[in-house]
Amino acid sequence: MSERIRMKRFGKILRERPYVWHVLRYLAAIAILLLIWWGASEIVEHVKGRAFLPNPLRAIGEMKRLGPTLFRNFWVSALRLWSAMWIAFWLGYPLGLLIGHERKLDQLISPMIYIIYPIPQVAFILILFLIFGLGNPVKVAIVASALFFQILVSARGAAKQIELEHVTSVLAAGASRWQVYWHVVLPATLPSILTSLRVSVGLGMAFLYIAETTGAFDPRRGGLGSFIDSNIYSGAQAFAGIMAMALLGLLLYILIELLERVACRWKHVSRRPS
Amino acid sequence: MIEIRDTVIEYGSGTRTVLAVDRISLSVEPGHSLALIGPSGCGKTTLLFAIAGLVRPRGGEITISGEPVVGPRREIALILQNAGLLPWKTVWQNANLSLRLSKEYPQKSAASVLEELGLASVKGRFPPELSEGMKRRVGIARALSMSPSVMLMDEPLASLDTLTKERIQDLFLQLWLQRRFSLLLVTHDIEEAAFLGQRIAVLSERPAQIKTVVENPGVGDLQYRSTEAFVGVVARLREELER
Repeated sequence: MSERIRMKRFGKILRERPYVWHVLRYLAAIAILLLIWWGASEIVEHVKGRAFLPNPLRAIGEMKRLGPTLFRNFWVSALRLWSAMWIAFWLGYPLGLLIGHERKLDQLISPMIYIIYPIPQVAFILILFLIFGLGNPVKVAIVASALFFQILVSARGAAKQIELEHVTSVLAAGASRWQVYWHVVLPATLPSILTSLRVSVGLGMAFLYIAETTGAFDPRRGGLGSFIDSNIYSGAQAFAGIMAMALLGLLLYILIELLERVACRWKHVSRRPS
Repeated sequence: MIEIRDTVIEYGSGTRTVLAVDRISLSVEPGHSLALIGPSGCGKTTLLFAIAGLVRPRGGEITISGEPVVGPRREIALILQNAGLLPWKTVWQNANLSLRLSKEYPQKSAASVLEELGLASVKGRFPPELSEGMKRRVGIARALSMSPSVMLMDEPLASLDTLTKERIQDLFLQLWLQRRFSLLLVTHDIEEAAFLGQRIAVLSERPAQIKTVVENPGVGDLQYRSTEAFVGVVARLREELER
């Protein structure tokens, strides 16, 4: 009996606080992934006769043991990725809106973008190193340059999707060009830009890894990428770094999601069926 | 006074221009109402946008209170088909938008209009949370907040159910009687035109030309719909549209 009451109360908590449900789902996902990993490492060990893929418990053990070092590198990477994302956001978003909304500018600039867009930014990595030197700026620049195009292209697309009715309604009320941007173009596109920023966490992570592992001559490279790179042959330690990277990605993802919920509250109101 | 003289409007550019309005002349005395009725896509909305200063006519002249219209003006309010509410702004922000754009907010606000239209309790809601009827009322509140002398409406009640539609038509009528703005209504709804337009201009297929103007002196009474005169005007309009 008391068991049933407890289940009922639990159900009520879930209904009233949807984020509890969210957290539980993520915890379950983590548990399942660890289980799959554990299974895979067992299979690899069985087939190959050696534990090339360290088992998750050992990796977690290493995470604990290397705590302070890992945390320092985690922090270095987090700051790089976070600043690169915002640099890309503040450069790519306004420019994307401008070319998405102003047709003449679009005709001029878009061809240039589509020519540059498919070139992997990694191709310019040496030049970036030569321009920015060693240390943090170059790594931030590599990641930011990759994300910039991502944000730019999606901002342009979002600006083209704006409903004419919304623009007409503020124009009729006497809005200036700047007011059209502030009251319509910006808020209308913000949700999709934040979504694209969130999705680009993965891409940013990949470029961060490349940036942090390139230039072995860089004494100040630091970060999770270089941590993984320098422990690549001692399985469990490398995997401790990989797990830290996954954690970093997840945290950024959640952070941007929360930001979106606050900045675009109107997207999350309960819609009235029409 | 709204005066439209020999107005010609085209849209598109280069060789692919479409003639939307072909030499229309009309006028609306201050405090009077005029309904423009015609088939969908006939160019009536384009004409309304020209009066609102959003579209530049190719020929002819449009003046309001004696001054040619060259762009949107403070004294002219436009209510769009779906109320033109911005979904990212609350009811309060939407209603105050016009005032804000003209930098009169927060010295002036739409508070009393919202109160009058029964929207005070939903001030903090976003448009997707409102019923269709409420959305239209927020659109009306935004227009009234500027105390306009000219009210332009573009199919303001399209896609509403009959009861809600009639209720808001009643509201329009009352507001017009109280405030005596000049009302220019574009619609394809025959009964709406007959209920609100003291004169009703029937337009042809595109390019829009005036087929005829029907006088409708009975407008102004909330009970008008149940009179014989109303039924007569509706029948006359139907005949003119089908002709």
